[in-house]
Amino acid sequence: MQKLEGVVIPMQPTSISIQLLAGNENYDEMPHLKPLVPFDDTVISFFDELSMILMKHPQGRDFPDVITFGFFIRKANIKRQMKSYTCLRSNVGRGVSFHIAPSNVPINFAFSLAVGLLSGNACIVRVSSKSFPQTDIVSDAISSVLEKSKFSDLKRYISIVRYQRNNEINNFFSSLCDIRVIWGGDNTISELRKSPLPPRSFDITFADRYSFCIIKAEEYLDMQNKKKIAIDFYNDTYLFDQNACSSPRLIYWVGSAKLVSQAKEFFWSFLHEALIDKKYKLQSMTAINKYTASCQSALDYNNVEIPKVLDNLISRIELKNLPEDLPERTCGGGSYFEYTDDEPDKLFDIVSRKFQTLTYIGYTRSELNSLFIGKGALGIDRIVPCGKAAEFSLIWDGYDLISHMSRVVSID
Amino acid sequence: MTNEEKYNKAFIESFGIEKDKLNGLKYQDVISWDSIGHMQLMTVLEDEFGVELDIDDITDFSSYEEGKNILRKYDVNLNV
Repeated sequence: MQKLEGVVIPMQPTSISIQLLAGNENYDEMPHLKPLVPFDDTVISFFDELSMILMKHPQGRDFPDVITFGFFIRKANIKRQMKSYTCLRSNVGRGVSFHIAPSNVPINFAFSLAVGLLSGNACIVRVSSKSFPQTDIVSDAISSVLEKSKFSDLKRYISIVRYQRNNEINNFFSSLCDIRVIWGGDNTISELRKSPLPPRSFDITFADRYSFCIIKAEEYLDMQNKKKIAIDFYNDTYLFDQNACSSPRLIYWVGSAKLVSQAKEFFWSFLHEALIDKKYKLQSMTAINKYTASCQSALDYNNVEIPKVLDNLISRIELKNLPEDLPERTCGGGSYFEYTDDEPDKLFDIVSRKFQTLTYIGYTRSELNSLFIGKGALGIDRIVPCGKAAEFSLIWDGYDLISHMSRVVSID
Repeated sequence: MTNEEKYNKAFIESFGIEKDKLNGLKYQDVISWDSIGHMQLMTVLEDEFGVELDIDDITDFSSYEEGKNILRKYDVNLNV
């Protein structure tokens, strides 16, 4: 047993293998590393070199998420992000961050690493035990950048690991960390919380969330770029089989019955075209789940209408009112609830803590600002235009991650 | 390599196209110049010319010719 500031650190389990994908294998060393300042120069230049490799990667075009990550971490963008953090002058990293990446969004582990390092922490990142090509592409690129002698010190701050679900290993990494970043679902969070943290450490949890889209029919009908809107909506939903927390599942139409009905016709047919263009493949299991979800809603809710569709790509369930348990119904793979009203007010009746991202079409920022901000809604952490639901930002789920993951040293 | 050659090379390599396609080339004229290709091109140009492009300039960068005007704002002269 080792002791660190009076806290007993469990020994690294030897019976179960921890696979190191990139970085430092000497995990015990991590709590002794000096925290960095947020936006440390070496960290920025590490990410810039990583960006160049990913952007020119021969498989890049097959994985838009890898390219999007590469674009995010390039120096120009990080410096732009830095500008909103001029108030961080006396911040330092908290020490060690232990990240548990989700299994629904493959590239997420890389973004989690980026916020951990950019806020000044050493990072142990557990990638999903599911195997994704994106994990290998990014981990291999990280390894090759870390081989450069100028990053030999930074290499000690990064461990990308993979292991099967195991409490002993969770206990070990949890005992080393100052911040534990758990990307949900809710079950993963409960599982990890069984592993004790040192007294001053804390969790940042990204639980199961529910997201929705609001469309003003009249404005949408006037828009010339309906094809682009369809692709944007596709990127928010089908790109992750509608399984990302930020993927809309409810479409709230605002307008008269007549206008909404016209708008729906355009919206869904343009989306269908986009699905054909993108060659979206629907798994048979998902098609069955979607059908079951539609039948279940028809049984449970009053006056539900299930519009006829050409194929199984888009499943729609039209509601006459908004049931409170809607956030529990998360089918995925292109299953949408729709609700129509003259005004957006009804949303307040159902917005709970579970609501995360509101995407919009036909509204302006200021309209939505006055509609939702300061009106006492328990949920909604992000309001972004359609197409930007999955766009990562240093502020996520209501947390300003850089501020949250660094320590403020007050000097008088 | 002159700046113009570097500029052309960025397009040729990012999009896998021939040099004779460059004049008049616009966003989405070729399959490879989509949103993904655009991010790749921007990153290569930033690296090649040591500039950090503004988000508005990245959005406005809609053609081979327009790109030259944009880079000029960053003191990258492409006729040298």
